[in-house]
Amino acid sequence: MARVYNWQLGREMSYWYPESRPKRQFAAVFDTNKCIACQTCTLACKTTWTSGKGQEYMLWNNVESKPYGSYPLAYDVKVLEMLNSGKWTGKVYEGQTIFESAPAGERVLGWRPEQQDYAYPNCGEDDCAGQVDHGAAMMALPHMSWFFYLARICNHCTYPACLSSCPRGSIYKRPEDGIVLVDQGRCRGYQECVKGCPYKKVFFNPMAGTSEKCIACYPKIEEGIQPQCFVSCIGKIRMAGWISKQQDAKPDNPIDYLVHIKKIALPLFPQYGLEPNVYYIPPIHVPLSFSRQLFGPGADEAVKAYRNAINDPDLAALLCLFGSSEKMMPRWKRVGDDVFGMDDKGATVVKVPRNEPVIVRAAYDKLYQITRTNCP
Amino acid sequence: MKSVIAPIVAAVVLLAGCQRAPTRTNEIVTIPTRNVPLIPTDPAWEGAPEHLAKLLPQDLVDPRLMKASTAEVRVRSLNNGSDVAFRLEWVDPTQSDMPGPARFLDGCGIQIPRTIEPNPPDPQMGEAGRPVEISFWRADWQASVNGRKDTIREIYPNAAVDHYPFEAKPLEPGSVARKEMETRYAPSQAVGNNRVGPRESPVEEMVAEGPGTLSPVPGGKPRGAGVRTKEGWAVVIARKVPEGLAPNKRTQIAFAVWEGASQESGSRKMRTGWIPLSMRVAK
Ligand code: SF4
Ligand code: SF4
Repeated sequence: MARVYNWQLGREMSYWYPESRPKRQFAAVFDTNKCIACQTCTLACKTTWTSGKGQEYMLWNNVESKPYGSYPLAYDVKVLEMLNSGKWTGKVYEGQTIFESAPAGERVLGWRPEQQDYAYPNCGEDDCAGQVDHGAAMMALPHMSWFFYLARICNHCTYPACLSSCPRGSIYKRPEDGIVLVDQGRCRGYQECVKGCPYKKVFFNPMAGTSEKCIACYPKIEEGIQPQCFVSCIGKIRMAGWISKQQDAKPDNPIDYLVHIKKIALPLFPQYGLEPNVYYIPPIHVPLSFSRQLFGPGADEAVKAYRNAINDPDLAALLCLFGSSEKMMPRWKRVGDDVFGMDDKGATVVKVPRNEPVIVRAAYDKLYQITRTNCP
Repeated sequence: MKSVIAPIVAAVVLLAGCQRAPTRTNEIVTIPTRNVPLIPTDPAWEGAPEHLAKLLPQDLVDPRLMKASTAEVRVRSLNNGSDVAFRLEWVDPTQSDMPGPARFLDGCGIQIPRTIEPNPPDPQMGEAGRPVEISFWRADWQASVNGRKDTIREIYPNAAVDHYPFEAKPLEPGSVARKEMETRYAPSQAVGNNRVGPRESPVEEMVAEGPGTLSPVPGGKPRGAGVRTKEGWAVVIARKVPEGLAPNKRTQIAFAVWEGASQESGSRKMRTGWIPLSMRVAK
């Protein structure tokens, strides 16, 4: 095991391989407050990448209702139960990661879902935490009953457990963009990666005999276009980009701004130790104790900053850039009430107003001589 | 009639676990024969002595097998001077030949150093610059060779599939266009990594220079067959006679057995260290 630095834990940790960061790292921010669980992302991915034989059960992208939803079944609580997790002192994690608590003979602490664990992708959908007691729960604020939608893809982790679990070195992290891929020519289907990934985002294909996973739509990324699940997102909750090292954060990089500067977007289960690169704006209506378990100790501040976005013109503007173009926008700026998404050279990709003009249309359309239905 | 009945009787005797006590040897002795048998039920095996190889868990290289499973494998060998076959038989009450998530496959392998040396390379898959040759049999490959179809319903009989894009009109079954489209949806097969599904042989020939370096031998002619016995598996693996092995010469051989029901695959296996392999002089 080597010693590597994990900024999400605020400390060094043990990992199977020495630290080797890519030239730039693919990353994403998902705003959980905007997801409506329409599953358009899930279907966009499914029809693009996993409609082949043996991929029937695979969802490289899935959206689960928290607290009860999970795919595969209980993927999250299984690891939380096994892990000798510990306290955070400020932003420093004092418990063990899945690498540090690997049992004898294993490279990581892992478990293997059974086949039937993949059979309930909609388990827990729209189930509230707590009982809605004769409607009273909905009358008082904050709501006693809550749920939210958690959209998940592979995190293209800085310290992937899938990669370190593979005894053949069949999984690699691309040096040019940090995307984690299974080499389909090298994989022999040992399923060690399936056992190792705590997010369960590698899947075994029984008709190919190899493991397969989210490829971050790398052919699109190479063309400067965001992945399928991003561009098809109805809720416009997603933004793809590049994340810098914490100390090199650039304010004009939208991902750096949200993650490192505003600290409004947080990793999922940072305590596992993988330095995952999909960052979530936590839901604002969920008990903070729950959000802290999922997103780490930054949850309180993140929720506060998000609630205050209305008074924060830059942040409010940047949030409007989500889902505004299919192009990658590695840079951004705000000018007055407009926000600009820009390419690497600073050329404008898209301009979005912070406030969309409100247009009221008459109930009766004189031009077409028809009554409009009340549909937004 | 006699000529038909005799092999059947012999086969039954063999499948019942070689009830007629075979000659036991302390090492693997390969016996000359005219035709190398390629199936485990061939009566020719009756004439070969047997070596009882104790298996140990692979507990040296991570990920390891921490709990012992298959205890031993019984090995016989026959050769015709150019080809050599090994018959491996072991106890395994569960037949594991269906691939799937968290489902693993029964298998066995033999390993021989590429060159005969006084000190053979590390028995854990060889060493850099000192390769070992490996032949590997797997139960699901045997099922495919025996005729199992390559559809999801063979694995999950109740699977419901609405549609595969490559089976849609106007792509005609059997057409080049359809084959091309189908391959695009099967990346491992597109790059020639045919891990499951249709094949000509249930055996694969490979070479390794240390753990994690296993790679297929291009143009290899893997041969063999496995059958379920009352107690487990009997498998024949045939290959060319190792370079330099001749009557009164010795090389080394190692064996490995994977028990699917114990979730064994890759480095999680039961294995032997090196066992001497010698060739008996033809009488
Ligand atoms: S989320 Fe899982 S599959 Fe994706 S890179 Fe991390 S460990 Fe690997
Ligand atoms: S498409 Fe967007 S809004 Fe719909 S489920 Fe996916 S992430 Fe949520």
